[in-house]
Amino acid sequence: MSMMHASQVGTAPSTAHLMRWVIAATLPGIGAMTFYFGLGVISNVLLAGLFALSAEALILTLRQRPVRPALGDSSALLTGVLLGVCLPPASPWWLIAVGAFAAIVVAKQLYGGLGHNPFNPAMVGYALLLVSFPTYMTLWSPPQPFIAETLFNETLWAQIIGTLPPAKLDALSGATPLDAFKHKGQAVLASEFWASQPLPEGTLSAWRNVALAWLAGGLVLIVKRIISWHIPVAMLGSMTLIAALFYAGDPSHFASPLFHLLTGATLFGAFFIATDPVSAATSKRAKLIYGAGIGILVIIIRTLGGYPDAVAFAVLLMNLCVPLLDIYTVPRPNGHSRAANKSMPEGPL
Amino acid sequence: MPAYEFPGGIYPPERKIHSNQAPLQAAPLPTLVTLPLKQHAGNAATPCVAVGDDVKVGSLIAQRNGMISAHLHASISGTITHISNQAITIEADGRDSWQTLPPLDWRTDSPEKLLERLDSGGLAGLGGAGFPTYIKAQVAEHHPIDTLVVNAAECEPYITADDLILRSYPNDILEGAQLIARLCGAPRIIIGIEDNKPEAISALEHALSKIQHPATIVLKVIETRYPSGGERQLIKKVLDRDVPSGGLPADIGALCHNPGTLLAALHAVRDGKPLVERVVTLTGETISAPGNYWVRLGTPVGTLLDSVGLMPDQLHQVIVGGPMMGTPLTTLSSPVIKTTNCLIAASITELPPAPMESPCIRCGACERVCPAQLLPQQLHWYARAENDSTLAKLNLFDCIECGACSYVCPSFIPLVKDYRSAKQRIRLKQIETAKSEHAKHRFEFRQARLAREEAEKQARRQARLAQHQKPAGGGTGNHATPEVDLRSLRIAQAAAKAAVKKAEKVLARAAEQDPKQRFDDLETQLATAQENLKAADARLANARASTTQKETP
Ligand code: SF4
Ligand code: SF4
Repeated sequence: MSMMHASQVGTAPSTAHLMRWVIAATLPGIGAMTFYFGLGVISNVLLAGLFALSAEALILTLRQRPVRPALGDSSALLTGVLLGVCLPPASPWWLIAVGAFAAIVVAKQLYGGLGHNPFNPAMVGYALLLVSFPTYMTLWSPPQPFIAETLFNETLWAQIIGTLPPAKLDALSGATPLDAFKHKGQAVLASEFWASQPLPEGTLSAWRNVALAWLAGGLVLIVKRIISWHIPVAMLGSMTLIAALFYAGDPSHFASPLFHLLTGATLFGAFFIATDPVSAATSKRAKLIYGAGIGILVIIIRTLGGYPDAVAFAVLLMNLCVPLLDIYTVPRPNGHSRAANKSMPEGPL
Repeated sequence: MPAYEFPGGIYPPERKIHSNQAPLQAAPLPTLVTLPLKQHAGNAATPCVAVGDDVKVGSLIAQRNGMISAHLHASISGTITHISNQAITIEADGRDSWQTLPPLDWRTDSPEKLLERLDSGGLAGLGGAGFPTYIKAQVAEHHPIDTLVVNAAECEPYITADDLILRSYPNDILEGAQLIARLCGAPRIIIGIEDNKPEAISALEHALSKIQHPATIVLKVIETRYPSGGERQLIKKVLDRDVPSGGLPADIGALCHNPGTLLAALHAVRDGKPLVERVVTLTGETISAPGNYWVRLGTPVGTLLDSVGLMPDQLHQVIVGGPMMGTPLTTLSSPVIKTTNCLIAASITELPPAPMESPCIRCGACERVCPAQLLPQQLHWYARAENDSTLAKLNLFDCIECGACSYVCPSFIPLVKDYRSAKQRIRLKQIETAKSEHAKHRFEFRQARLAREEAEKQARRQARLAQHQKPAGGGTGNHATPEVDLRSLRIAQAAAKAAVKKAEKVLARAAEQDPKQRFDDLETQLATAQENLKAADARLANARASTTQKETP
């Protein structure tokens, strides 16, 4: 009955520990985003975390379940943080609240709480906001050095009162690189597109550096064995492969694999979203397939679909496949192979 | 020599240093022992002494009941003071006088004699399940065995009993292995030992270099990883063979014994000593003289721990067995039995109770460490849902209850506990459905018994008749006896013999596969077959008598 538990002897973390490690590993990414997109990123994360915890407490009270241990495992906080970083900086508070509510109440607790949710809660919240409030969800201001930020006070005010004057809307809505490329128009060749300098100065490098910060946090998680390498590697590998195929076929209309890897939510998604143990596949083989499936879907949706960034939808779609994956990758237990074969195998001696 | 790998496994902290420093010594003789009638897999033994009887060490006090069962002997000399359905109590007279059986020589005496000795010595596996040793040694009758695997891995943290006996009796253990190898016809012996026991390894190497033995002995040192002492895992490691699911090591030509059992077998054969004592690791932070001790069976745990300096105010719990697979003891008055290999008197900081369980987050950690390649997380889910058909599909009964999954679970889910209760529930259900079968088999048994009694009565009458008529000489009356077909009776007897063998085989296999199940039904079927055999014997004897009688004149 195992009286010994790994965590008691200091070799393995508890669930709460795992969650906190993941939260800690988001700090480089959040830091980089704040640097490029302003303090609105932090206020997003804080608000989302707060709303997520409140939603969890509220629903647990309604479900008459113990509140404390559930809040203590930090899983709701993590969902909030992950949702927060996906939103445009200084999103209106009600937008964040709606997202957090959808994530915690609908995607997690209505399915039975921690461990029972088939879909990644943060991505459910994000996807819901994306389809319901597309205008607000594309308000990514062009990156500008943190210190020189001028818009901050206004955007924070907008976050608090929850609306933006239409004039400001225009000023804010800078396209993300993925967005811009997506809408470049069929007639425009990739080379012409980039030559026309479609994005404000520094946008590409800002997104790249943010992506690298997520990569750094993700590597920490792998080194600390909080997550296994299978899903990120499979996802990034299949993305590279498929993007390379498209790119090789028609470099003038499709983006390079590197562009796909370093823009949008790719690296963040690979290490922090796709690896959510609850909604991901479990066995090694299933994880490889799951990760690869996400990668393929991301490229397909990005190049052929209607949404510029596709990580959320790709993850949600693969969440759907997890039960099947788990069933069809059941490992054959030891001793089941030769059960039918009663002949004596030769010994090694 | 290459070492093969079993999947999964964990590296729990060993904590063997507590108990492997002191030399092996004898625990003080208890003044009172309580000997449970069931210290082994299978049926409880039947008492054959009465309250007030005086016994010596080694006196038979309860006989095995059915095939999967073992005799029980007095472990101290003294007086029987109490007999219940569960146990026999003996009060010591302090003289410690022994009654041993005549010594045998395993090299020269017949295998039947040796097997009979293992039976009469009450030997049962000293490792875990307590499977009666004579049955295991008999398997060679049904299976060709090419390798005897000595399980010296001892992979549970804390336990050092095998380690210490390997250091103290390397020659005897090798000899015991030869004895068992001879009984099962194995031409080679492989000793699998984890590399965290350097002294035992060198003791064995030394002993091996000196002695010439009939079966070749190979020492295989393997990496220390839990649970390499699992029978299947060890066989994978040293032989690279997979024991089929639901099968036995014997199916792939192997037989597994732990060193303690081999030593006890040699003692029973060579010295005529029944199984009345064993080595127990006494350890844990709350005793002041941890170590390994020869302990008489039936010694109360409390007395035993007191004798090695138990500090009761720090004691949190006593665990029987290792910290991974053992169970907490509910009362310190429980006795040491044949399968008690270790007692851990742990403080609360040493083995704290598990933190509160939280929901499974499907992290897959359990799956990565499962040596049986099961899906512990799924098993947990379906065990709680009591979905027995899915549990069967997920091979619940392949779980060896090693606890590796519970050990790593970040949500502190007591996974093994779930599996144990699910298995228990399924076994009960099977018994429920088997009940009508069992009633039928009991009826058949009764019929067979009546037939046998009738046949024996006839045989006795015939014998008397023969006695009576001999002196009269050559009367013609005998010719009235119908012509008996000796040949068909002989065939019937052979068939009955085969039926007994088959029933024995089925029972032994079932019991060895799952020592925790109940085998009343199979035992009844075996008893029926035995009755049939006796009846056939009697009829044959009867017929023989009447024919000789006919021919005599
Ligand atoms: S206890 Fe059973 S399920 Fe858990 S690791 Fe051991 S064999 Fe696998
Ligand atoms: S280790 Fe525990 S939490 Fe992780 S999958 Fe297994 S049962 Fe679930």
